Amino acid sequence: MAGSALRRLMAEYKQLTLDPPEGIVAGPISEDNFFEWEALIAGPEGTCFEGGVFPARLIFPTDYPLSPPKMKFTCDMFHPNIFADGRVCISILHAPGDDPMGYELSAERWSPVQSVEKILLSVVSMLAEPNDESGANVDAAIMWREQRDEFNAIARRLVRKTLGLPA
Amino acid sequence: MQLLLSSVCMALTSAVIGFAYYQKQQFYPAVVYITKSNASMGVIYIQFFVIVFMFGKLLSKIFLGTLRAAEFEHLLERFWYALTETCLAFTVFRDDFNPRFVALFTVLLFLKSFHWLAEERVDFMERSPVLGWLFHIRVGSLLTVLGILDYVLLIHAYNSTLVRGPTVQLVFGFEYAILLTVIASTAIKYVLHAAEMRTDTPWENKAVFLLYTELVIGLIKVVLYILFVVIMAKIYALPMFVFRPMFFTIRNFRKALNDVIMSRRAIRNMNTLYPDATPEELRQSDNICIICREDMVNHSKKLPCGHIFHTTCLRSWFQRQQTCPTCRLNILRTPTVNSTAMPRQGDEAVAAAAGNPIPAAAGVQPAGGVPPPAPTAVVDGNQARADVNVAGGQALPPNFADLFGDASGLPNGLPNLAGLQIPPPPVMPMISPFMIPPHFGYLTPLPPPPIPQDLTNFTDEELRAMEGLQRDHIVQRLKLLQNINLMLDSAGIMMSQYQSLSARLQLTAVTPATAVNGSADSSVYDMPSTSATAMAQLETHQVTPTAAASSASPTMPAEKVTIEDLGADADEDDIPSTATEAVSIPNSDADFEENSSELGELRKRRLKFLEERNKSAATNERTTAE
Repeated sequence: MAGSALRRLMAEYKQLTLDPPEGIVAGPISEDNFFEWEALIAGPEGTCFEGGVFPARLIFPTDYPLSPPKMKFTCDMFHPNIFADGRVCISILHAPGDDPMGYELSAERWSPVQSVEKILLSVVSMLAEPNDESGANVDAAIMWREQRDEFNAIARRLVRKTLGLPA
Repeated sequence: MQLLLSSVCMALTSAVIGFAYYQKQQFYPAVVYITKSNASMGVIYIQFFVIVFMFGKLLSKIFLGTLRAAEFEHLLERFWYALTETCLAFTVFRDDFNPRFVALFTVLLFLKSFHWLAEERVDFMERSPVLGWLFHIRVGSLLTVLGILDYVLLIHAYNSTLVRGPTVQLVFGFEYAILLTVIASTAIKYVLHAAEMRTDTPWENKAVFLLYTELVIGLIKVVLYILFVVIMAKIYALPMFVFRPMFFTIRNFRKALNDVIMSRRAIRNMNTLYPDATPEELRQSDNICIICREDMVNHSKKLPCGHIFHTTCLRSWFQRQQTCPTCRLNILRTPTVNSTAMPRQGDEAVAAAAGNPIPAAAGVQPAGGVPPPAPTAVVDGNQARADVNVAGGQALPPNFADLFGDASGLPNGLPNLAGLQIPPPPVMPMISPFMIPPHFGYLTPLPPPPIPQDLTNFTDEELRAMEGLQRDHIVQRLKLLQNINLMLDSAGIMMSQYQSLSARLQLTAVTPATAVNGSADSSVYDMPSTSATAMAQLETHQVTPTAAASSASPTMPAEKVTIEDLGADADEDDIPSTATEAVSIPNSDADFEENSSELGELRKRRLKFLEERNKSAATNERTTAE
């Protein structure tokens, strides 16, 4: 089972290195373990995250691509759809089937046709346009909805923090 | 940190041994001194554990190289759980607690740790694309050594149990059996992974072999756990330390079983429902399996929606979801049939719900006169009752009359009494429909009326006459008691006659109406009177309407004789109601005579009652014959 997952991950890594999407760099942490990837995601232009470079980690299950990987930002993030500990809550990363909570369509959830590239592109899109209806971070969701300026200020502070610049 | 700790322990141990030797100057006394000192033994034990720990690290260096962070974390977690379970085991075997026991458990934990590490390392084979010969040599030798050790220790525990009987060796035997299954499972996985790595092409059957391996090993473990729990429950007590791993083992086995079932179903569906993709179709559709991102050369399936995948990739996906990976079409026909069956059941439920009003409507329609169906008899009865109420005094069919009478016997008693006050000629047609209902209503007011009437009828003088203690007072009380007895006897006779009338009512359709009329007549006139003589008269009267013309003539002389006996002047009329009214008047006269007379009156009353009883008995015989 993990053999096919390994081959697919190697194929995806090859594809990402040959034709990398803009603003995304991703690959295995080490040659010895293809099931843990590290990704660097640039903040989308025209948003409060612009200019930032956010590191994240993806952990793939042994039955990939039949099950989705887990994604977690390793830097501090303040976003409606990212938990306080950095875990990403996005429909493409949820297991296939109907959503037990009824927020997502089954068509939006994980499918074997998805790939690491699509996951990362979805995350970039999530950074640009948060979904405040089902917030993983309730404080961020409320602030983004009602106090946008303060949210933008916090985001800019995080951007400078990830770049190692003084606040 | 570890070096520092081990150095400190080594220093402590050396100090303890040196001090003992300095004290005793010889080897044997020094050993005795150390053994008897708890502090010294504590230090020795700690040193022992440190040596074991160092030996473990040495072996892990030899067999496993550098431990990965994930492996170390899992090892620590499992070790703490195992340590907790060992403490629980100590509580079960308190009697056997000794240094040898602790040493045996230490060895067990030591081997368990290496089993877990071997399992982690073999699972890691699938994740790492770079594996050298050193890896295979290490893993192979580790699995071999662990397997041999498990087998030897299992045999040792088994022999020890046979020789000495059930002891703590039972636990060790069980634990090493479980470890043997773990090592077998790990070895099988290692062989499968190694075989796949030898070839570049994906091995389709490997997943199937892994699945069945998981199932068989899980089954063996479950059987071992159940066997162990049963044996321990019989010999010692429930082994609490086993329940946590037992729970996880059973859960894994159930998951493996479910996977096998889903896998077999997916295979059957694919082989029977979906055709193989042709080379032309492969060329038209990009020739790449979207699941594994590799070229599709052979062994490809085309789904009803037109998408093509590898057979093995599709089977793996179908174990989780029965949809097309690309367009999410629900493609298994079995779920489709189930989904279509549900609306059919719903339609049947809707038809059943719609069917309920239909019989009701059908029941309503026959209210005009058609006999209603049994389930809606109540509804029809209500309709019939409404019709009766609307009709008022109109004549009604026997069926509706019976229902009307059953429903409201008491309320109609009063109208009947009121009807009696009307002049006789117009009362007759009115009495006919209202006579029927009181047939059953008569039974209800039977107990209450006599008591208030008795009290109201007695004057103050009569009450004082019954309160004394002299002969006259006792005579008055005896008279009253005899009157009550006569009334009860008459009531019993009337009850038996009513039963015969009701039986006749069930037999024929025409006669019951007449019979009910007769009983209604008698019951109505019975209420105002309290005298047995009057009741006897009523009994005679109720036979008249049911008797034939030939039997009516013998009854008339009886009435005349009765009236003559009473000595009351009464006009003889053919109308029964008038005759009944005439009879009620002499009752009061008879009461006055009784007050004035004595034993003579009692004798006359007895004779009259006996004569009337004989006459009524003869009349009953005639009625029965009819």
